[in-house]
Amino acid sequence: MKLKEINRTAIQAWSPAKQHPIYLAAGTSAQQLDATFSTNASLEIFELDLADSTLDMKSCGTFSSAHRYHKLIWGGHGNEDDGLTSGVLVAGGENGNIILYNPSKIIAGEEDVVIGQIDKHTGPVRALDFNPFQSNLVASGANESEIYIWDLNNFKTPMTPGSKSQPPEDISCVAWNRQVQHILASANPSGRAVVWDLRKNEPILKVSDHSNRMHCSGLAWHPDVATQMAVASEDDRMPVIQMWDLRFATSPLRVLENHTRGILAIAWSLADSELLLSCGKDNRILCWNPNTGEVVYELPTATQWCFDIQWCPRNPAVLSAAAFDGRISIYSLMGGNVDEQRQRQADSISSSFGNLDPFGTGQALPPLQLPQTTAQPSAVLPLKKPPKWVRRPVGATFAFGGKLVTFENMKPQHQQQAGPFQVLVSQVVTETELLSRSNQLQSTVHSGDFVAFCQLKVDNAQTDFERNMWGFLKVNFEKDSRHKYLELLGYQPEELAEKVAPDDSEQETETGFHTTDVDGLIKQALLTGNFEGAVDLCLHDNRMADAIILAIAGGQDLLAKTQKKYFAKSNSKITRLIDAVVTRDWPEIVQSCDLQNWKEALAALLTYARPDEFAALCDLLGSRLESEDDSSLQAQACLCYICAGNVEKLVACWDKAQGGSSPLALQDLIEKVVVLRKAIELRQGTNNNGVGDVLAEKMSQYANLLAAQGSLLAALSYLPIDTSQVKIMHLRDRLFRAQGEQALGQQSAPFPDQMQQVTRGRDGTPGPSFAPGQNQQQATTQQYYPQGEAPPPAGFIQQGFPNPSGQVLPQPSAAPAYSMYSQASTPYQPQQYPQGAGRPTLYQPHQPIAPPPPSSYPSSYLPSAPSHSTAPPYPAPSQASPPIPGPASPFPPSLSGASYQHGGPGAPASSSGYALPTGPTGTSLWPAGWSLARGPQNGWNDPPALSRMPKKKIVPGNYTPPAPITAPIMNPMADPQVQMQQQLPQASAHLPLQASFQQHPSQQVHHNPYQAIPQTGIQPTLQTPKHSSEEAPGAPTGDIMQPVQPLTTEKIAKKPIPEEHAVLKTTFEGLIQRCMTAAGDPQTKRKLDDANKRLESLYDKLRDQVLSPTIIGGLHSIARSIETHNYAEGLNIHTHIVSTSNFSEISAFMPVLKVVLTLANKLGV
Amino acid sequence: MVSVINTVDTSHEDMIHDAQMDYYGTRLATCSSDRSVKIFDVKNGGQILVADLRGHEGPVWQVGWAHPMYGNMVASCSYDRKVIIWKEENGTWDKMYEYTGHDSSVNSLCWAPHEFGLILTCGSSDGAISLLTHTGDGQWEVKKISNAHTIGCNAVSWAPAVLPGSLVDQPSGQKPNYIKRFVSGGCDNLVKLWKEEDGQWKEDQKLEAHSDWVRDVAWAPSIGLPTSTIASCSQDGRVFIWTCDDPAGNAWTHKLLHKFSDVVWHVSWSITGNILAVSGGDNKVSLWKENVDGQWVCISDVNKGQGAVSGITEGQQNEQ
Repeated sequence: MKLKEINRTAIQAWSPAKQHPIYLAAGTSAQQLDATFSTNASLEIFELDLADSTLDMKSCGTFSSAHRYHKLIWGGHGNEDDGLTSGVLVAGGENGNIILYNPSKIIAGEEDVVIGQIDKHTGPVRALDFNPFQSNLVASGANESEIYIWDLNNFKTPMTPGSKSQPPEDISCVAWNRQVQHILASANPSGRAVVWDLRKNEPILKVSDHSNRMHCSGLAWHPDVATQMAVASEDDRMPVIQMWDLRFATSPLRVLENHTRGILAIAWSLADSELLLSCGKDNRILCWNPNTGEVVYELPTATQWCFDIQWCPRNPAVLSAAAFDGRISIYSLMGGNVDEQRQRQADSISSSFGNLDPFGTGQALPPLQLPQTTAQPSAVLPLKKPPKWVRRPVGATFAFGGKLVTFENMKPQHQQQAGPFQVLVSQVVTETELLSRSNQLQSTVHSGDFVAFCQLKVDNAQTDFERNMWGFLKVNFEKDSRHKYLELLGYQPEELAEKVAPDDSEQETETGFHTTDVDGLIKQALLTGNFEGAVDLCLHDNRMADAIILAIAGGQDLLAKTQKKYFAKSNSKITRLIDAVVTRDWPEIVQSCDLQNWKEALAALLTYARPDEFAALCDLLGSRLESEDDSSLQAQACLCYICAGNVEKLVACWDKAQGGSSPLALQDLIEKVVVLRKAIELRQGTNNNGVGDVLAEKMSQYANLLAAQGSLLAALSYLPIDTSQVKIMHLRDRLFRAQGEQALGQQSAPFPDQMQQVTRGRDGTPGPSFAPGQNQQQATTQQYYPQGEAPPPAGFIQQGFPNPSGQVLPQPSAAPAYSMYSQASTPYQPQQYPQGAGRPTLYQPHQPIAPPPPSSYPSSYLPSAPSHSTAPPYPAPSQASPPIPGPASPFPPSLSGASYQHGGPGAPASSSGYALPTGPTGTSLWPAGWSLARGPQNGWNDPPALSRMPKKKIVPGNYTPPAPITAPIMNPMADPQVQMQQQLPQASAHLPLQASFQQHPSQQVHHNPYQAIPQTGIQPTLQTPKHSSEEAPGAPTGDIMQPVQPLTTEKIAKKPIPEEHAVLKTTFEGLIQRCMTAAGDPQTKRKLDDANKRLESLYDKLRDQVLSPTIIGGLHSIARSIETHNYAEGLNIHTHIVSTSNFSEISAFMPVLKVVLTLANKLGV
Repeated sequence: MVSVINTVDTSHEDMIHDAQMDYYGTRLATCSSDRSVKIFDVKNGGQILVADLRGHEGPVWQVGWAHPMYGNMVASCSYDRKVIIWKEENGTWDKMYEYTGHDSSVNSLCWAPHEFGLILTCGSSDGAISLLTHTGDGQWEVKKISNAHTIGCNAVSWAPAVLPGSLVDQPSGQKPNYIKRFVSGGCDNLVKLWKEEDGQWKEDQKLEAHSDWVRDVAWAPSIGLPTSTIASCSQDGRVFIWTCDDPAGNAWTHKLLHKFSDVVWHVSWSITGNILAVSGGDNKVSLWKENVDGQWVCISDVNKGQGAVSGITEGQQNEQ
């Protein structure tokens, strides 16, 4: 296709390959007078601007020359220092002159463009060539067999390649070998080509056939094969190109015959040695594959002889041809469409007539109809043979799961031996640390040893904050987490109790003895029964205790009033706390407390808040902290959220505080999230904490990250299941399928759905967004089937498809994909939901729900699959799963009487029996939206529900807070254990309802053996945590009652206590042992047991050697006093230590030690 | 760390020009100068030839999988000026549609993000880019951008379907108002961005930096940031990373990833958009990643599919 045109009769030279942009130099040809018969000459430079779609070439510079040219070449010689930024133009003139030009100066429009000129040759210089290896060497040829080699660095005296060949002839061509730099060939019109070796300084070979009719007009070396050359003949009687191999120089290797008249020029493509251009007097431009002799292309061109043809060195698809019709044409070999070009041409011609009304007749020109000639097809075909430069030899493409698909092909010349043609699939892993940590987390999840995991994190924590976080998280897995939270915050309940208790008694004793003048008045008031007056007096006199005591006697109203007045009056900091304790107005405290005291606030919440409000209050505190400007406080909000068990907010807060989405940061977060979720699950006995958007986002980010490292299985396990986020469902499906058959028994992906039917015009709805239409159509297909008597689960709908075997094939082919994507797109397609939309088809809910395990599809993998057809009474598994995303139910199948409708809001809770088998009616009650929200299947690794009732949900109604350690007034204490008993019946009252949900998974086992595997595999590990759910969370008093937790696993991993301090452990443990023996009542025993356990924290500190020398010294003193049974002294030392040390440093063990010492003293052991 | 997990012997009889995995990474489509397209099942390290698709009359340059929601479909483009869409139905692959609207070699194709519907973009040596949109009744609507790149378009790549200025998914139920954009590279040394406005495709940006044919362009997958990223590689050996933080998509800046000594044929982003695989004419594949300072560093040279990922420092990199 013609790209550009220059209206000049000129010889041409492309700028060298390294030159950008591409220029074309055109010098007035000496051979032909132009139409004006002008004898002026010029050297002009044009820029090839392909972004400009017109045929015009932009002229960049013109130099009016005194010479006309026979030959023009442009080489890359020179550099910036020489001012030769665009190389050197070398021109061969008419009178034996060679002229050097600086093209960059021509472009710049400067005058002194001539670098040098030497008139050494005889006659016109028709032959010039740059040496491809040394750009400073130029060979030239002229009459009298003159061949010179010029060094542009020393452009004065040329050398000759050897003695002139005889008889003297005109040299028409010179050409440097493309492979061997000292080999030069020359040719003359009489038909001989001579090969020179410059090292030998003589011709080494003369190439000529015996016909003697070759009139050499063109000579070109093979770009790749050093010994081959092409010689073209200008003789009309022999218009051929001969291919010679110098190793067999007796006859041409090949003769390219197609031109009908003499050939004027040839050009061999350097970019593809299989392309050789030739132009001849038959007005044709042909492109040959010189290696085969085939004409691969004929340019649809010239009406005139072309006398010069050149490949563009930089753009391999571009060539230029100079013709005697007075123009140089630039062509592309890649074909194209010239319609537009013609139209543009027509337009530009029209426009020069102005307003399409050239003659002012008032009539516009009629629109030009371009004649559609067959002779000139508008589409210009490309080369028959794809040129080498478009054949991509190498590629590397990423695929899902961190896979890299690569292929490479040998260089063409070696291609024969190249095969086999292989494609390599590689796994790319860039985040090794992430993977190892992920594996660690995974194995923790499997083993359930979260305590050790947290401890490890605590030990390895880089920052206090991090250590704290993990400490908090760890506590979640221990008994009595709230108590331990307190310890972590640096509060010791016993300590506090001990501190507080004496105060109380003091207060009481005080009341009896104080007398003042007011006494009389009070006495009066009391005697008159005027409690209110008495209280007022007391208050007025600042006798608070009296006032309160009197108020108690005066009844509830008065008490309340008095409390209020008291608090109004009193301003000390502690009052607020007492106020809150008494009035239980924790929201107020949390709302208004000074955030610098967040620790205290959190401690108070941990101690007093009722479980039902605890989380909310922690949340509130967290939110306040988070909104604070102080970034350190913001971070602490995380701790509040951990206490609250609010994963969602923890994630959000963490995200804000830590920022960054680097893989390891994400790993940090996910570790915490996984642990916390597990903890909540254990604590609350259920995993009803759905996955919020923020967390879902993070989880899917993480899953993506893992997937990108090829860790598909792990990635799958992190994806939240109960999400309606399309993106996550897609990822889930993708991960699942990406694992091929490996995962089939392990994981069920959500199988939402429909896919868009794309067919060969078989059906369909018009419109750009054909999705809804298609879906509808599909849905109908689907619905027919279910509406049969035995409604099959959604997953089996595909049986209705034209599937030869009636079963789905192992390939994850059309059918499963179909189901996937209808679900995926449901959010966009409200009509999928029959409720509200009023769709007539009852069975539609299947579509949005539709998460049957994929393992149930391929019947080849599923021995029991056929049972579907024989077991119609079973409800669709797809529906079974949503209610509680929990695995196997521990409830016997007989409980399954309860129907599915329980799950549906508004469905009669009491309905029983297999409601579903009744078919469409049953399912129509199924609220599609609801089930969607709950999400589809349970993942093998998702927190299981087991039989744990969502106790927390049930409890709040009658739950009373535990006795606060400071024993606030008016607290009707309830024994937590009694409470538990109360709750249990209540919980079990709910059981039948719950059972209906739980039953389904087990029912699914019938359908789907694969699903059962992960369930049974996982279940045992989850039994242990179940116990912990028996305890009401957060009751501080409960702690004492608890048996010592088996800490053995933890101990094993611990470092030894430094030898010098080992005595502390033996002494303390010995003391406790002695006390145990001496103690009579079980309560004391339990206390001791607990103390023993608690001292572990002391030993830990010893192991870590984090205690200050003062404390260590003190402890040793205590130990010595224990040795001597002098417990009183021990207590004194204890007091001394406590008063002189950092409380938080010792708070974990000193109070315990005191308890032990006191007991020992009492027991006298 | 790059380790070969599967070697697929394609039995192609000539050069392979493209190899693409499907959405799930379980099937492989290859195409070759032997005019065939082959589909392999490569699950679990295996290789089962699923289909050997014949229909092209010239070397097949590229293959591309449609999103699975539209079924199992592969498009291929060839030097024979044709684009063929192959589809699997009932386990059998067949020609589903043939597009012959180009006048020269069709060098590149790219399916639009599935959110936009089933749209295939093709770039040809005739300089034009075609957009084929499936209209649902088996018909394909063709839009053509003529003279997109003079003497040839070498590569096309779609922008991910992200909403301008939005990080989160659109609330479900409403049709999101995506802007359709793609990038192309061609023999005019240009990288061009195209945008659909009122159903018409318009040149949105013209990115100039390369000094030779642009061989490939790749729009990076969205990683949740509002930044758009494009990689382009060229005959000039340069690979540029183009980024635009401007929500309007107008202010593009470029950074040189590396200047290779040979033509760079292909660039490919990892699914997560943070690693770029660069394939050069020297048959070398290297992996690149942006470090925290925003510098692109080579983390691995892959030879024969094998390579160790390393953290090459900037200094070392400059020496290369």
